[in-house]
Amino acid sequence: MPQNLATDAEGRLLIDVRGPRFGAAITTVVLATALVVQGPVGIGLVAWQWAVFGVATFAGLAWSPYGQVFRWFKRRFDLGAPPETELEGPPRFAQTCGFAVTTVGLVLFAGGLTVAGWVAAGIVLVLSMLLATTGLCIGCELYLFGQRLQARHGARDADNGGVA
Amino acid sequence: MDPILLRLLLVAGLLVVVLAAGWLVQRRDGTVRHGGDARLRGDHLAAVGLDLSDGAAGAVLLGSPTCTPCDSVKRVLGDIEVERAGFRWVYADAADHLALADEHKVMRVPTLFMVAADGRIMARSSGVPRHDDLRRVLDAGGDLGTAA
Repeated sequence: MPQNLATDAEGRLLIDVRGPRFGAAITTVVLATALVVQGPVGIGLVAWQWAVFGVATFAGLAWSPYGQVFRWFKRRFDLGAPPETELEGPPRFAQTCGFAVTTVGLVLFAGGLTVAGWVAAGIVLVLSMLLATTGLCIGCELYLFGQRLQARHGARDADNGGVA
Repeated sequence: MDPILLRLLLVAGLLVVVLAAGWLVQRRDGTVRHGGDARLRGDHLAAVGLDLSDGAAGAVLLGSPTCTPCDSVKRVLGDIEVERAGFRWVYADAADHLALADEHKVMRVPTLFMVAADGRIMARSSGVPRHDDLRRVLDAGGDLGTAA
């Protein structure tokens, strides 16, 4: 890990709850700019955002570029201790969702389907806008949903009849 | 019109729609609703470990290990527990109590059930409820009137 970051009793990374929202604000600016200018510069910005999602997905949020910016910003402007911390699981999964959709977008660009590519980029833009402005993280909710489905399957295998 | 201007308008339009949708969702979030005529079954109460046999009201909070707002709900419940003699609450992982979650259509965590001593659900909420709303439920014994 790049710095000493907080972990819970089981060694899972704990992050400042303000971090994902800060990152989403940067994502919003990057993708909004991309959508407005389009062309090679716009596609370059989408590719940059894809790489950022990729780092957070595969290396973890400790390595997230926007997370680094947030930590620098926090020190520089002395934002103080986190009001709360959360496990990295859900926000990391949300980054994975962003990675998946921007991958689709880039493939569409490469295939010459420019308009469809911008629709994909627009979806990621809307979701990061939602997180940045209201704190609502759709990707995180999906993670909880997935976990519950998984638990449900587990329960069904173990005890046939516990769940209708 | 200049395409750049058009796209700027598109982004601005998206922002307005997102703000409106976020505002609507947040207004609903944490709203304490009437429990209808539903009640928590005795075996479900026993499974989550809530004992109301002495006639006090209590609460069941369904959460998950990775749910951050659940901690905020726990704090609210902790405050209420200090104020109200007899009030008690339990936290349970929704994944461990799927029968209860299915029966009461729990779609997301945190979901809170305020339960009367006889198992009747006085009120329920998804998201982080406000202190005053929970106090009102306890004061009224679940009769939230038209506001609910």
